[in-house]
Amino acid sequence: MKELSVAEFGRRLAHLLVSLFILLCVTFVIGRVLPTDPVGAIVGELADPAAYAAMRTRLGLDLPIYQQFLLYLNGLAHGDFGTAVLTGNPVSSDLAQAFPATFELATLAVIISTFVGVPLGLVAALFRDSVIDKVARVVALVGHSIPVFWFGIVGLVIFYAGLNWVGGPGRIDVFYEGLVTPQTGLLLVDSLLQGETEIFWNALGHIILPAIILAYAAMAYITRMTRSFTLEQLSQDYVIAARAKGVSPFGTIWRHVLPNIAVQLITILAISYGGLLEGAVVTEIVFSWPGIGQYMTNALMIGDMNAIVAGTIIVGFIFMLLNFLADVAYATFDPRMREAAQ
Amino acid sequence: MKHFSKSLFVGVVFGALTIAAPLSYAATPKDQLVIGTSLAQVLSLDPHQATEGKAVEIMSNLYDRLVNSTPDGKIVPQLAESWKIDDKGISFTLRQANFASGNPVTSKDVVYSLARLLKLDQAAAANLKRVGYDKTNVDKLVTAVDDKTVRIDFSGQVTAEMLLYRLAASTTSVVDSVEVEKHVTDNDWGNAWMRTHSAGSGPFTLNRWSPNELVILDANKDYVTGAPKMKRVIVRHVPESQVERLMLEHGDIDIASALTAADLATFKDKQGFTIQRIPTGGFYVLSMNAGNQYLSNPKVREAIAYGIDYKGIEKTIMGPYGRARNVPVPENFESAIPNPDWNLDVEKSKQLLAEAGFKDGFSLTLKTIAQTPRIDLATAIQASLAQVGIKIDIQQGNGSEIIAAHRARDFDLLIPQTSAYMPNVLGSMEQFSSNPDNSKEANNAGNFVWRSAWDIPELTALTAKASMEPDAKKRGELYVEMQKMFVEQKPAVLPMFERFEPIVLSSKVEGYVGHPTQLTRLENVTKTEAQ
Repeated sequence: MKELSVAEFGRRLAHLLVSLFILLCVTFVIGRVLPTDPVGAIVGELADPAAYAAMRTRLGLDLPIYQQFLLYLNGLAHGDFGTAVLTGNPVSSDLAQAFPATFELATLAVIISTFVGVPLGLVAALFRDSVIDKVARVVALVGHSIPVFWFGIVGLVIFYAGLNWVGGPGRIDVFYEGLVTPQTGLLLVDSLLQGETEIFWNALGHIILPAIILAYAAMAYITRMTRSFTLEQLSQDYVIAARAKGVSPFGTIWRHVLPNIAVQLITILAISYGGLLEGAVVTEIVFSWPGIGQYMTNALMIGDMNAIVAGTIIVGFIFMLLNFLADVAYATFDPRMREAAQ
Repeated sequence: MKHFSKSLFVGVVFGALTIAAPLSYAATPKDQLVIGTSLAQVLSLDPHQATEGKAVEIMSNLYDRLVNSTPDGKIVPQLAESWKIDDKGISFTLRQANFASGNPVTSKDVVYSLARLLKLDQAAAANLKRVGYDKTNVDKLVTAVDDKTVRIDFSGQVTAEMLLYRLAASTTSVVDSVEVEKHVTDNDWGNAWMRTHSAGSGPFTLNRWSPNELVILDANKDYVTGAPKMKRVIVRHVPESQVERLMLEHGDIDIASALTAADLATFKDKQGFTIQRIPTGGFYVLSMNAGNQYLSNPKVREAIAYGIDYKGIEKTIMGPYGRARNVPVPENFESAIPNPDWNLDVEKSKQLLAEAGFKDGFSLTLKTIAQTPRIDLATAIQASLAQVGIKIDIQQGNGSEIIAAHRARDFDLLIPQTSAYMPNVLGSMEQFSSNPDNSKEANNAGNFVWRSAWDIPELTALTAKASMEPDAKKRGELYVEMQKMFVEQKPAVLPMFERFEPIVLSSKVEGYVGHPTQLTRLENVTKTEAQ
């Protein structure tokens, strides 16, 4: 059993790496054949051909694409993602700066969507076709069908401009800028570590609305899935038997249903988490959030390929990694999978 | 169950309130100016590299130049307290001033800065190169006479007045040579460092630039005319117009630019806000590729000029962004000629097409950057030209795609925009009227007219003559002649709308005067108490 698990683990890991390599190739090729012009963006619209050509050479864009790719791979092997046109910094340091902002936002969003979505799904299943179930279904449907962009603007109009309950766009009020030294890059954590409680509350006020809005779509999905997993379990004989023995509805859920759907839940949470990291783009634009989504949108606008490729790989890697971990969790914890393997 | 759901609900509400309770949001502090805008195009804050408008606005507060131009177009002293013009050049006497580093500003810094500009040789150098200064002759033409005197000799292609205007541009900013030299790597003139740092003598210093997030400027307390009133200026990247509007209304920003026409309109007559419509002297242009089989024919170009509903578009789309005008010189400039009668005239346009041999019309593509107001402008042109039988297929793209197509002459029609770099006819018009070599081999992609393959030897010669004419009256006559010739030749770079930059200010802000070439200085801006 143990040997098989290791082999299975290795197979899945290899699968992950191959997928990642394919992603890298595709992104690189698409990036290089797109009719964008990072050289023009750097030297300026009115630069003369000599200055233009010199910069092209400096960026290595005059080489054949396969050579560019090999050079890129070589750099990558040394942990070098190249230099970003947009900032002139190594892409890795740009990403290290932008990623925590997205990570903080997506993590809070996944926490919110889990803590609301899972109980809502459970309750909806338990009281199938009741008012609560109907409300949960409507909530899930709305979350799935309304664009995040619209939600964001409406949220800002109501809770920021109207009620003044939350902070505005950006991670923090401008006059707090620069007062917290980035350690982890996570503003909530850094401000607490440095004892800046006022800044912590301010940052919390800024993150709460984009996090809830980002969480909403994921929550809809989690609610729907939890509901259907639970319904499936509720029709099982062991549950009916437990209920017949007089176990309360919540006791049934807590002791019997939840442990049985835990693995499935982990899978959908992992998928949601990946989706949140990836889907933060629109939220970041609406909320002027300086994360990876906004970084990549701007990189796309000027054809900054090093930034785009690196960003895609990082997001793709995290997405695949989460899927991989979910797979492993599935294989490890689900008794049926274990039995099948044996 | 009922009990459970009720307590769950109460719990959630209570939780939400607890989170919300300790938060309170104040307006921007009185000693900090916060500007909301789009920083997406800002790629560098090196004055000898960056030319994008927003970058210029920031850099003009970090650096001083020898001279400055006022918003109404006068040349005034800045680092040079006086200058003497003779037959061969100009001698500038520098005032006592220090860089933010504490180093004194000397003539050596001025010479270094101009050499750096021309030797880095990027778009920022175009303005001086156009009149004969380049990396090969700068060391000879720009010299330090003594510590406080700089001599700039004429290149042979420029008059004193035209040179002064060019020296007032942000591209000729004077940098701290001692400081910059400390940061040179790979013979890059310190460019890698200068993109994200400042080494100037201006009223502010660069505290931080996080691309697409914010720029923080700190007051230079030792500025030569006294410390600025604002302790900090923060320029925030707010890419979404509606969000920017909310932030301005909420008091989180003091000045908003890059708003859409619809969001701007909400501030019209609204108490607590004022709208400034800053003229740029530039234009929204319809570039026609004269290398195209149809567009090479002047009659077709004239048919297009008669086929666009400028007035209608001005009213419905351009709003505060533009004013209909088909001569590349703002109508309030001295020596500007009246507009030709190229108003929408469907019959005349059809007739011209028939005369050109295209009675049944034809199809063209129109490329444009997907950006307010250009994208709506493209749609309106499409609808307007459809009436005369020209079918337009719109292709949208981002900045780098469209500019690349423009540089490569790879388009039929394209909508670029221009800016004037001097508040006079030449500053506005030169980029429309000069194309020294139209051949494909010349590959002069930095030239606006070359990109449209529009061959205009006579107009090019006349432009060169005007820029060399020292006598103001004669120059004025040449300016008129240039504009007339431009119209007669049925331009392949057709100006459509004079371009304005509308901004909205909170009434708390005082002393902010938008500059036509984005050299808006902020040292005298103040803020009153919250209203």
